[in-house]
Amino acid sequence: MQNLSIKYGKTLNLDKLTSYCPGCGHGVVTRLVAEAIEELGICGRTIGIVGIGCGGFSHHYMDIDAIEATHGRSPSFAVGYKLCRPDNIVFTYAGDGDTCAIGLGDLLHAANKGMPITTIMVNNTVFGMTGGQMSPTTLEGQVTATTVKGRDVSWQGYPLLVPEMMREMPGVKYLARESVASAKHIIKAKKSIKKAFECQVRGLGYSFVEVIVPCPTGLKMSVRDAYKWCSEKMVDYFKPQVFKDEVE
Amino acid sequence: MAQQTMFLKNTETFAESLARSGVKYHFAYPITPATDVMKRMAVILPQYGGKMMQMESELAVSSALAGAACTGMLCATSSSGPGMTLMQEAISFMSGAELPCLMIDSMRVGPGDGDILGAQSDYYMATRGGGHGDYHVPVLAPSDGQEIVDLVPVGIRLAYTYRTPVLFVIDGVTAQTTETAVLPEYHDYSAEYDTSGWAYTGTQDHPKRALITGSYSHEDGYTMNERLRAKYEIIKAEEQLWKENSTEDAELIVVAFGIHGRMCKDLVANMRAQGKKVGSIRPVTLWPFPYKAFERIPSSVKRILVVEMNHGQMVDDVRLAVNGRVPVSFFGKTGGDMPMYTLAEMTAEVNRLLGE
Amino acid sequence: MLVKCMFSGSGGQGSALMAKLVCQGAMKENLKVVMTQTYGIEQRGGDSTANIIISDEPIGSPIVENDATVAVALSNSIYSQCFHGVAPGGQLFTNSSLVEKPGTAEGFEQILVPASEMAVEAGSVRCVNMVMLGAVIARTGMLKRDTITSVLEDTMGKKKPELLELNLKAFNAGYEAAKGD
Repeated sequence: MQNLSIKYGKTLNLDKLTSYCPGCGHGVVTRLVAEAIEELGICGRTIGIVGIGCGGFSHHYMDIDAIEATHGRSPSFAVGYKLCRPDNIVFTYAGDGDTCAIGLGDLLHAANKGMPITTIMVNNTVFGMTGGQMSPTTLEGQVTATTVKGRDVSWQGYPLLVPEMMREMPGVKYLARESVASAKHIIKAKKSIKKAFECQVRGLGYSFVEVIVPCPTGLKMSVRDAYKWCSEKMVDYFKPQVFKDEVE
Repeated sequence: MAQQTMFLKNTETFAESLARSGVKYHFAYPITPATDVMKRMAVILPQYGGKMMQMESELAVSSALAGAACTGMLCATSSSGPGMTLMQEAISFMSGAELPCLMIDSMRVGPGDGDILGAQSDYYMATRGGGHGDYHVPVLAPSDGQEIVDLVPVGIRLAYTYRTPVLFVIDGVTAQTTETAVLPEYHDYSAEYDTSGWAYTGTQDHPKRALITGSYSHEDGYTMNERLRAKYEIIKAEEQLWKENSTEDAELIVVAFGIHGRMCKDLVANMRAQGKKVGSIRPVTLWPFPYKAFERIPSSVKRILVVEMNHGQMVDDVRLAVNGRVPVSFFGKTGGDMPMYTLAEMTAEVNRLLGE
Repeated sequence: MLVKCMFSGSGGQGSALMAKLVCQGAMKENLKVVMTQTYGIEQRGGDSTANIIISDEPIGSPIVENDATVAVALSNSIYSQCFHGVAPGGQLFTNSSLVEKPGTAEGFEQILVPASEMAVEAGSVRCVNMVMLGAVIARTGMLKRDTITSVLEDTMGKKKPELLELNLKAFNAGYEAAKGD
């Protein structure tokens, strides 16, 4: 098989087959992150701080130093790291469970501190690695392993809109929600992810991109159905948009 | 900063010692009786080119500390019981990840929210790992201001030699005590250690490094644990520290750390003045526990008395060390208006045991 | 040398400042000092006690536990505790302006100083702690007179010269009165 490493540059490491399930949105997001790093020429000084969950695999496919943090704490790890080494580019990469269930406090305070750090939150509305349990972003009525009759918002709460919570934070300089539901979405997502890194390279402040992706395994759907559900149901609730862009 | 004698709260002495010994960044969250460490750090660290970073919880404190430690730079934190409980997640992580850092626990009365008065209630949490997994953290227990100053470089040596978090424990009474100490001239002890062989500074410096404490295969977890075990065996063999006083011919030995250990200086002097053969052992490292001190106790010893500001925690280690050779009694209290036994009460207990 | 001090008074009488000055003086004389919070004493409306231990050797127990070799009672409400807190052979300095019925000292020495009245004479009743400090230094000899004078100059000399003058006057009045006994 042809090795595509040369085509993609040195950040993306294609020597390994990914551990992601077929159709998983992480593969696309990982590639977009690697491309942003490559295009900005920051591979050698970039540190990926990844969470617990499938997002934790992401660093294996990039030629960067990486820290597999404790569950939900990667934004706090990033704050400590960036304080010590401000010239390094530090990003966190984790799913919705890690980022906005167990790690919501760490995330919002790191964002509010406004240090130049980038967070990529990959939202597939379930805990993927543990087998498709409800996460804070599970949609209303969505059936998961722990919401067998569908998420009942009267006591299980509404799906959490994370970037909306950061909108009023002056320290957040780039804020967007993107998706990989279609090729068009992916093109936009690529721009946003690159801008988020650029925001840090220029030392402007915190940058955050939520990416809406399908998890065929966790959703117990075929790849085709998972993408259909992602582009219809998920994107309808989690509307892709750039909330804030102070990079320009 | 030049060497100078200062009259400081011991929490402040900690801050001065850390800053003068090379700590660059300090992460903390306010909690009595540890807050004075972070307050002073906020003022003095900028003079050394560093910063005190106040975080929003001790979970965030310890996680930021772990992130900072990944760079190889010397960083620290300070807290008290309830905060240390929250930090156990990251302490377990840093132990598995083999990251050096310094931590201070100004111990107060527990459990739960407890009381802000001083105590030695965190001995178990400090010496038994505290979080999940098979690990230990070297624990140093200074008993006065000058010993804080003297032990900080020891802590840094342990942290970098063995690549491990190192914990200082101090009872809240000693923490709040104000006393004279000779603070040294600035010297960055961490600079003596080359961290380039392991620090996560980017692939510009070395081929890709990934810090992984999770097991991708069952073999991974086994290997990590065996590596840690081998390290802990070396620490246990090489790093036991204690102070002893008049044990050569003692009939009764008092064992105490921190403030009670310090009070034994007066206790032993008073007893010896009355012709009573009393000696003392003061553990300085609580982990590794100074088992060697107990291997050497003379056959004249008929009884050991352990005094603690808790309901009996270190006494377990003393009993393990003595292994039934000598009867071990316990005398301890925690909380109340006077959160510890006074010298007079300790004296009465020693006299009672001598009379038995 | 080992001096255990218990300086007590009501709020505003400055027993804590008195202790602080003694600590600074001890440092000037290259002695070791420990100061602790009050433990084991019932806290009542505004009373406060500062415990300090001074020694030329490393200090063992940092706690003054009813074994003060030098006790000071600036107010009536704290007097009883001070009276019972003196070690055998120790000295109790009693502000006789305020302490209504001084007890009969047995096994220790009691020095009665009309400190509040002397402070008023020196210029302000707020100097009561300085008068008492003068008396303590004169009678115990635990620190040199010049040491305290220079500590006072260090702490208030530059910023508030008129305050220094007032405090020195009170300190000297206490010193002379106690020395003359």
